[in-house]
Amino acid sequence: MGNELLIGAVAYSANAVPIWEGMRDYFRDTAEPIDFVLFSNYERQVDALFAGHIDIAWNTNVAWVRCSRRSEGEARALAMRDTDRTFQTMFVGRSGSGLSSLEQLGGKRVALGSRDSGQARILPLHYLAEAGVAGDVELVIFDSDVGKHGDTGRSDLDALRSVLDDGADVAAVGINTWHGLTAAEDDSVTGLEVVWESPRYNHCNFTALDKLDAARSDRWVDSLLQMDWNNPAHRRVLELEGLREWKSAELSGYDSLIAAMEEQGIYDEW
Amino acid sequence: MVNGHLAIDLVELMAATPWGSVASVDVDGVDEAEFVQRWAAASGNYVLMVHADRVELLRGIPPDPLEALAPERRPGHRLWVYTNFNCNLACDYCCVESSPRADPRAFGVAEFRDLVAEAAACGVRELFLTGGEPFMLVDLDERIRVGVAAMPTTVLTNAMLWRGERLRLLERLPRDGLTLQISVDSPDPGLHDLHRGSGSFERALAGIEVALALGFRVRIAATLGDDVGDGEARLRSWFDRLGLAEDCLVVRRVARQGAANSGLVMSRSSLLPEICVTADGLWWHPVAAIDPAMRVSASWRPLAERIGEVSREYRGYRLAGEIAASSFPCA
Ligand code: SF4
Repeated sequence: MGNELLIGAVAYSANAVPIWEGMRDYFRDTAEPIDFVLFSNYERQVDALFAGHIDIAWNTNVAWVRCSRRSEGEARALAMRDTDRTFQTMFVGRSGSGLSSLEQLGGKRVALGSRDSGQARILPLHYLAEAGVAGDVELVIFDSDVGKHGDTGRSDLDALRSVLDDGADVAAVGINTWHGLTAAEDDSVTGLEVVWESPRYNHCNFTALDKLDAARSDRWVDSLLQMDWNNPAHRRVLELEGLREWKSAELSGYDSLIAAMEEQGIYDEW
Repeated sequence: MVNGHLAIDLVELMAATPWGSVASVDVDGVDEAEFVQRWAAASGNYVLMVHADRVELLRGIPPDPLEALAPERRPGHRLWVYTNFNCNLACDYCCVESSPRADPRAFGVAEFRDLVAEAAACGVRELFLTGGEPFMLVDLDERIRVGVAAMPTTVLTNAMLWRGERLRLLERLPRDGLTLQISVDSPDPGLHDLHRGSGSFERALAGIEVALALGFRVRIAATLGDDVGDGEARLRSWFDRLGLAEDCLVVRRVARQGAANSGLVMSRSSLLPEICVTADGLWWHPVAAIDPAMRVSASWRPLAERIGEVSREYRGYRLAGEIAASSFPCA
């Protein structure tokens, strides 16, 4: 073991190991080889980043906002997936529900995911508040994967099941879950339809603190951006991680989440 | 409409399934099975097997096992046709129970023409005619001509019937593009006659001489049982003395099929398919052309679709086998 950059990631599924072994293999022949450490939750990972135990954290949007705040703005977002720039929350109801806006949700039962999930809980509450119905909906909560910031998709799926089982009228889920569900492009099959979709916002990024030499992180990002969907060895990792292309980081898409976390008083801790 | 819970269960199941591992989804009816297959194709997963009540899915898209095969080993490169099932011999290991008393079940000339035309159109590159003894058919030459006009053709024979009218039939056959594959199991009458009938060795040798004298390309094929002893080595030295090209000897083991009550056990999951057509349908492999478990369909039409079905099934077995092997516990 030498001077590899140490990347932290949360083991949100059994595929975290093949993803990060694939990443390690890819970076082996680049200017900045890596090794990785898997955490069971994002809070532990963020602590490890600040303690200097890892150089870079593969963070959710919620973990990024916390890092940024805790570092008083010094944390750097290095790169993200193409899909992280176009993330959305989908409010999903039963097909034929007649619902088509958030304003219509007053008096309805809204199923939300885990309390640390940006897409399935924090931002949906923000959107409901913006639509003026936050105090007027009955929340049906599924805290099924706390610590993983909604990455497992478990709470999204539990919320959707509750809609099908008439335990809720609408569920708020990440667009990745919705795309997974409708992959066969046959909406009628699921018996569910989108009631309202949120504006786009940012999701994950690779986060580093100031103490990481910028020349090293630049070299690492250069190699990262060269991963190629058309190369079968890269593609497996990209597919598993849910992207086609790595992109440089773009920060304006975090504004809605920052506002939501501030409103809900969960900027620093739950 | 398919139950929405199925889609949710699928997403959850495959998200939790490690890359390269197999998961099984219960389905209720054809609509659900088809939905699972559409969903798998669209979500970057692979359908291994579709059963009546469940679908087996592989997480991720594996490398295609067919691509790993040499082109000439892939299903659909070769086509075997049983021209008939009756035979002048009744070998004790015959994999299709041929004999003089067997129902001929001859494959008609008109249907043979259709089959060869479709085979050529869908990329078949080599044709093999077998039986029974093909030369039992007095109009075999018509089929051979159709075959040779389309692609290289091999006829499997015991070489014992080339007299009189059948010798004249042989003489009329094209030489280019035709191989006669003649059965010889030992370099002397011993094992050959023991399994194939008294006097059959001498007549096979005479047949080989006739075929060579008439300018045919000849390949020797031996079928060896448990009693072979040092017979294979002796057979190979006999073959060397014949002066034929090295690739003109095929040696295979007796398969436990048809009349054979011992030998290699064959199943679809353990046998590389070679598409085989008989008057009774389309089969996984010519060595098992009367074994009901090895029949793929009652009709060979449309041939391209049937080849596709066999390829998919083979792919499923290979992938499932490789996955089972890769997780074989050592303790
Ligand atoms: S093995 Fe060949 S020669 Fe022997 S009975 Fe069967 S078809 Fe006839």
